[in-house]
Amino acid sequence: MNTDKAYILGLVIGGGIWGNAEDIFRIRLPFKQWGSYEINPKRAGEISRDVMKMVSPLFKAIYNISVSYDTSASGVWNILCEGDLDILKREMESYGLSCEGEVRKTANIDKIVSELVDDNLKRRFIAGLADTIGSTRSTHRRFSDDKQMVSFEISGFEYHFVCSLCKLLHSIGCYPDQILWNHPNFHCGNNPYDKKWKKGFKLRVYLDQYEKFGAFAFVSKAISAKENQALESVRNVGMPCADREIKMPSIACVHCDENSELLPDEIRGGHYLHNRHVCAVLGCEHAPYGEIKKLLANAEYCINPFPILIKGKLNEIEDILNTNALTKNRVYTDLNVKISEIYNQSDQDLLYGKENGNGYPINKIILAIAYLIAAQTNQLNGLRPKGRKDKIIKEYLVEYPDGVVSISIPEIMTPLVVRMNAYAALVGPNNPKVYKKLIQKCPENEYKIKIREISEEDLNEKE
Amino acid sequence: MKKNEVAHYPEIMKFIKSQLQSNFLAEGIGDVSIFWKSGELTAKIKELIYEYPNECLCMDEYSKKIPPLNLDIFCVVTNGEKFEIVILEIKLRESVGLNQWSQLVGYNLVSNAKYGLLINIDAGASDRLSHILSFDVDSSKIVRKKENGSEIEHLLGFMQWNTITQNFEYSNLGQISSLSALSTFLISQFQH
Repeated sequence: MNTDKAYILGLVIGGGIWGNAEDIFRIRLPFKQWGSYEINPKRAGEISRDVMKMVSPLFKAIYNISVSYDTSASGVWNILCEGDLDILKREMESYGLSCEGEVRKTANIDKIVSELVDDNLKRRFIAGLADTIGSTRSTHRRFSDDKQMVSFEISGFEYHFVCSLCKLLHSIGCYPDQILWNHPNFHCGNNPYDKKWKKGFKLRVYLDQYEKFGAFAFVSKAISAKENQALESVRNVGMPCADREIKMPSIACVHCDENSELLPDEIRGGHYLHNRHVCAVLGCEHAPYGEIKKLLANAEYCINPFPILIKGKLNEIEDILNTNALTKNRVYTDLNVKISEIYNQSDQDLLYGKENGNGYPINKIILAIAYLIAAQTNQLNGLRPKGRKDKIIKEYLVEYPDGVVSISIPEIMTPLVVRMNAYAALVGPNNPKVYKKLIQKCPENEYKIKIREISEEDLNEKE
Repeated sequence: MKKNEVAHYPEIMKFIKSQLQSNFLAEGIGDVSIFWKSGELTAKIKELIYEYPNECLCMDEYSKKIPPLNLDIFCVVTNGEKFEIVILEIKLRESVGLNQWSQLVGYNLVSNAKYGLLINIDAGASDRLSHILSFDVDSSKIVRKKENGSEIEHLLGFMQWNTITQNFEYSNLGQISSLSALSTFLISQFQH
């Protein structure tokens, strides 16, 4: 290991894609839009310079590998590495890295990390990763422009890779501010049937923190980082994970893919209340275990075995209800409810509950109504209303002050249906007393929980 | 306001020192110290001996033999028993050419330093120098037979300092094509 190899390994792990050819592989730079020559020709020029003036001579000097590149209008760049790859391959294999397919999708970096014997070597390795998968789009901000981030974007299901990278960043003082695991509980918290949850991992560090302790070797990235920092009026300081307080997370549904074969053994089958709950289950030494224990003690307030909010055409919603025996065999009471009546209530309240503490959350019903109005008024972008929910509802109420939605309420606490003409939405109830019964601890890991399927008996059972 | 080349010395020294230290450590060599000085060689070496006698007294004899020589920066790598000197000739020019290369060669020959780097800030080498260094190995690897029969090998290289990334960009011009190559040469001198 040396400082130049550490950087190159970062690049190859971040973007390396190996095919069948013996003497060529590529490093994919996923700079979609950000690096597009159509959208930002100046930046594209900088990226081209980075490849030819920095990456190319580096590869030549260290491995005698020649470098060229190609790119497309989308902004994806490929660094093409050609020559005798034997030495690089041997070294990769000695670190337990397979030179097949996309490296980062299967990479375990523990062996490499053990050879990064000081902070500078770690910085070099992280710089290679940052130049490939560390995104500096200004949209990676936290709530406002004042909190700019570097976001390491990682596809695949290699949880240990993400955990090792997170620990590595932590070890040089770049405390990750946010971690997003590639798990349905975080990517599809509302719709348990949504199969589009495989959106990858994100590991985000404050740009200020990264600038202080990390590095970029690409001029294009360094300039972009400076531009983003110029948007901030204050300097941000990251906090070690163990010192962080965890706020009560939003309720997430129990997803049908929690048992997906794609998930690693330690994670598969579990339900996760918070991204840092995953860190605890993985046994990371930096996880805020005390906070996670507090969360687990109140887990029934964070889960829902039913859909929380599903939007679609009426027939699609009916299909969903019919696929499950518990929701199929329900008797519904239909009500026509004035939109203004619902909209004027506190969005923290619950509606149509059977006892204290249960009921249907008004904030979700309001989201459903905004969707239904948007569907009627041609303001939909896929399943999302174009614009803010309040604006959509208020504008509709100006035109139709007595506008109503149809609400079908089941006789037990399963999801209700909100309807307007050919569109509908399912809203699941909050019912913590019942949901508590569904939570099961896993004997193999004190932080892992499973949520068993809910039955009619659970809902009918008297205390 | 644009900085002059001297203003970039600290960042360049800091960067090279970090890379050399890491590479020594990665090879399991932890007893090596790295010192930087800027200015006249013999006076600065005497200064080092005074400041760090444990590490630098091994340079005492050397300091008495070397004629005065004004250098941009030089680096002493020592384990207290032996030492090596790396000379850095730093320029802030649109391109560096044979003139600047000759300067570096001269400094290395006079000082007997084995390693030398010509560094241009935010710019490269002239076409002529690039051509010479690409096709004539002898211009960056000089093996000198001294009057007393001993031989000394001088290895030189050219690279570019990028002020935006605070990182080196290599040129593959000369025998020292990278900082890891420089580290490897130095490590070979200190391996037990």
